[in-house]
Amino acid sequence: MDASNLSIREINSLFTKKELKPSELYSKVFENAANSEAALHAHLTLFEEENIKKAADSDKRFSNGESASLLDGIPIAIKDNINIKNYKTTCSSKMLSNYTSPYDATVIEKLKEQNTLFTGKTNLDEFAMGSSTENSAFGLTKNPWNTDYVPGGSSGGSAASVGARSSIAALGSDTGGSIRQPASFCGLVGFKPTYGTVSRFGLVAFASSLDQIGPITKTVDDSRIIFSSISGEDSRDATSVINNQLDIPSDNSATIGVIKELMEDGISDEAKNEVNKVVEILKSKGYKVKEISIPIIKLSISIYYLIAPAECSANLARFDGVRYGLRVDGNTSYEMMENTRAEGFGAEVKRRILLGTYALSAGYYDEYYGKALQARKEMIDEFAKTFKDVDYLISPTTPTQAFKSGEKTSNPLEMYMSDLCTIPANLAGLPAISIPTGLSKDELPLGVQVMSKPLSDNSLLDFSEIIENEVQFDGQPKGWL
Amino acid sequence: MSLKPTIGIETHIELNTNTKMFCRCAVVDTDEPNISLCPTCIGLPGALPVPNKKAIEFITLLALSTGCEITSKGMFHRKNYFYPDLPKNYQISQFDLPVGLNGELEIVIGENNDYIQIERVHMEEDTGKSSHSGSGRIESATSTALDFNRSGVPLVEIVTKPVISSSKQAVAYIEELRQLSIDLNISEGRLEKGNLRFDANISVAPEDSTELGTKVEIKNMNSLRSLERAIDYEIQRQSKALEGGVEIVQETRHWDENKEITSTMRSKEGSADYRYFSDPDLPNMFLSDEFIKEVETLMPLLPKVQREELMTTGLSLSQSNILSKSDDWIKKLYVKVFDQTKDSVSSYNWITGELQGQMRKANIDVLPKWFNDNYLSEIIELIKSNKISFTSAKIILNEILTTETTPSKVAEQKNLFQENDSEKISEMINQIIKENQDIVDRIKSGEDKLVGFLVGQLMKQSNGSVNPGMAKELLLKELEG
Repeated sequence: MDASNLSIREINSLFTKKELKPSELYSKVFENAANSEAALHAHLTLFEEENIKKAADSDKRFSNGESASLLDGIPIAIKDNINIKNYKTTCSSKMLSNYTSPYDATVIEKLKEQNTLFTGKTNLDEFAMGSSTENSAFGLTKNPWNTDYVPGGSSGGSAASVGARSSIAALGSDTGGSIRQPASFCGLVGFKPTYGTVSRFGLVAFASSLDQIGPITKTVDDSRIIFSSISGEDSRDATSVINNQLDIPSDNSATIGVIKELMEDGISDEAKNEVNKVVEILKSKGYKVKEISIPIIKLSISIYYLIAPAECSANLARFDGVRYGLRVDGNTSYEMMENTRAEGFGAEVKRRILLGTYALSAGYYDEYYGKALQARKEMIDEFAKTFKDVDYLISPTTPTQAFKSGEKTSNPLEMYMSDLCTIPANLAGLPAISIPTGLSKDELPLGVQVMSKPLSDNSLLDFSEIIENEVQFDGQPKGWL
Repeated sequence: MSLKPTIGIETHIELNTNTKMFCRCAVVDTDEPNISLCPTCIGLPGALPVPNKKAIEFITLLALSTGCEITSKGMFHRKNYFYPDLPKNYQISQFDLPVGLNGELEIVIGENNDYIQIERVHMEEDTGKSSHSGSGRIESATSTALDFNRSGVPLVEIVTKPVISSSKQAVAYIEELRQLSIDLNISEGRLEKGNLRFDANISVAPEDSTELGTKVEIKNMNSLRSLERAIDYEIQRQSKALEGGVEIVQETRHWDENKEITSTMRSKEGSADYRYFSDPDLPNMFLSDEFIKEVETLMPLLPKVQREELMTTGLSLSQSNILSKSDDWIKKLYVKVFDQTKDSVSSYNWITGELQGQMRKANIDVLPKWFNDNYLSEIIELIKSNKISFTSAKIILNEILTTETTPSKVAEQKNLFQENDSEKISEMINQIIKENQDIVDRIKSGEDKLVGFLVGQLMKQSNGSVNPGMAKELLLKELEG
């Protein structure tokens, strides 16, 4: 038995029974990192040394029977757009290559209270903009299932790390699918909670109205444990909500909707087959399944690529070389700001800043950003209506299996299309999860996505666990342990 | 060609809340730079804004006090522009849904009042402070030092409609607004500290024109003198140009304190497109009826109402206006003294004239502790009942301002009570006549002005205690008789 393959609850039980020590698990996880990092580049930085004492403290708590937390001594990888006090937060950008955060994100504070260990900071597409972790200023990350392929993105480092077992679980952030898509590409569970349930304080903003922190894990239960630890209203985030969970049925009294628009052209047969497989299982268990049409979903990418860039154009304005981060000198303050931004940002980030600036400009606002807001509101209304008929919506997580490194880098539109199925949940603020269900003929993971109404996260996790148990996907990338 | 100017004024008032608008950093009054900062007010990556309820209360109070309609569902917008002392490179402000719309403010000039229409009242956060070396302007500075203590301090912006027609009105408007903010207890109202800063939009058009001329904005003034002179200068400059057939360019100009001229800052072509959009970090600002009712309970007697009440005591509009713009203790003292004496003119004159004059001379800001509210009434009554002379009253006032004593004690000690007993005065007169028979003869032979000499002798002999009016009257009677 390899402890790094186990779920959080299994590990905790071993810790509690004193059959395994946190320091032993910690050594194992860093051994896995030593085996995999050179090939995968999941982590940007590993916190190996500083964890030795923390792991020893965990050992003591368990040997004294003093530990009260399921996450005590569990090594978790953190996406490098989430601030950990006194560590670098680079967002995989040259702009912040030298930036050290003086404060903890709320989620980090919460995990520290649980005595979680942090393996380090993981690679991402620069400022979380991308779907392949190829837009990193510090080199790309590879898919642990096959290093010719991308791990997905933007939380590709987090997903590759959990896949290669260089962490037990990871935190990612999801603006248009950045948790679910890499989880799906790496054969993992990726959960984007209801907007507002997890504080964004300390998460470097990409698109504030869409960003949400969530877990990438091996099992649904692991995601549940992390979600319950990091969620909760935060007085430092005005958009955070009281996590009053709605109880909706997860047993076979629930009705499942299959989204018609996400089972059409542009979706690979392999991806559709996974949905159909799950649907058949659910039907056989007595669930009512029906096809649901939400036509506005077809506009998701168009809406998203107006709203997200618009918000990012303002969110990223603060990176100007004045107070922190990269500074490239110039003859005047303005020249210094211009030079810094020209050199500090990568091509994709610049593209989105320009798109967003354009969409908000006088004379174009109504035509672009204003219309996108209107369409977003319609989409929210459509989902609300749909959830009167069905309890859960099911679709592929991604249109295809993982693609090869370099395959889509020269075609941004094609890259954007890989988020077709995941974007609607961000636009509507819904909880959404990707569950691994099978392998493609290339032996790469495939997954399905389930969504439910806002604040029904716990029920969604319960329902997903049922699918997980029925599907029995036990695939695992080979060669890293 | 007869020309008329039209002026609109935008005023920023710094609110005197304890903490900043979107973080809980203290608002500090110090020259020591960068001592009240946090991730939010210096725009660190991942930091988020949380609104200050007190500031919203203050802004609502100002909006209510100017009779504005309150926008129950207001919004925060981002105003995007790059400047080194603006940490996020956007300012959180309000755009199409400000706290208040369509109000008015009464102003007073001499014995006339007028109403200035208010277009809007909205929230804004302040920027940091730049100190440019080598040149006063950022474009040519060799280096710039930044202080972010002011960054994020709450401001309220009040925008008038283009209804002001002279620099005198503009000054009266700012005086009124300043007093209002002090009475509402939302600002210190100290111009020299920049608590109020104003921009003026000025245009000139032919008297009979129904359209406004091309407007020119003069930015960032903080004294009434600058405001008055800048407006007068600009009206003259524009009028001359128009009379000479030169077209006015729409632009932003800067008032040069030293040269007493305005000069071009930027023309409209170079003016910024602020790309306003609603801030996704901040939910709608919902001002409930309950909240508004709560704020209404904080409403003090407004300056306009104070003036109306003062006028019922018999004061003129200009006198009431001066009192309404005086320190609180002066207003209160007037009410007390008037209540006791029922003599508005004496009360007003003694307080605004002699009392304040003597305090200025003696360099006292506040009345000494022993200074009883009744003292002024006592002095006024003593004069009215002829017990002391006006000159003596001044001596008494001076004494009670500097020494712990009472008016009657001073009068007694200094022998300032007047002799009002006509028999006693007549005795003294007889004595004087005996001693100055030659003078009496000369008076009788026509040298009338020598009467004054005799009165002077009388005053001298009585140590000034004789009522001079009575003395003269009795003396004349004696001389005739």
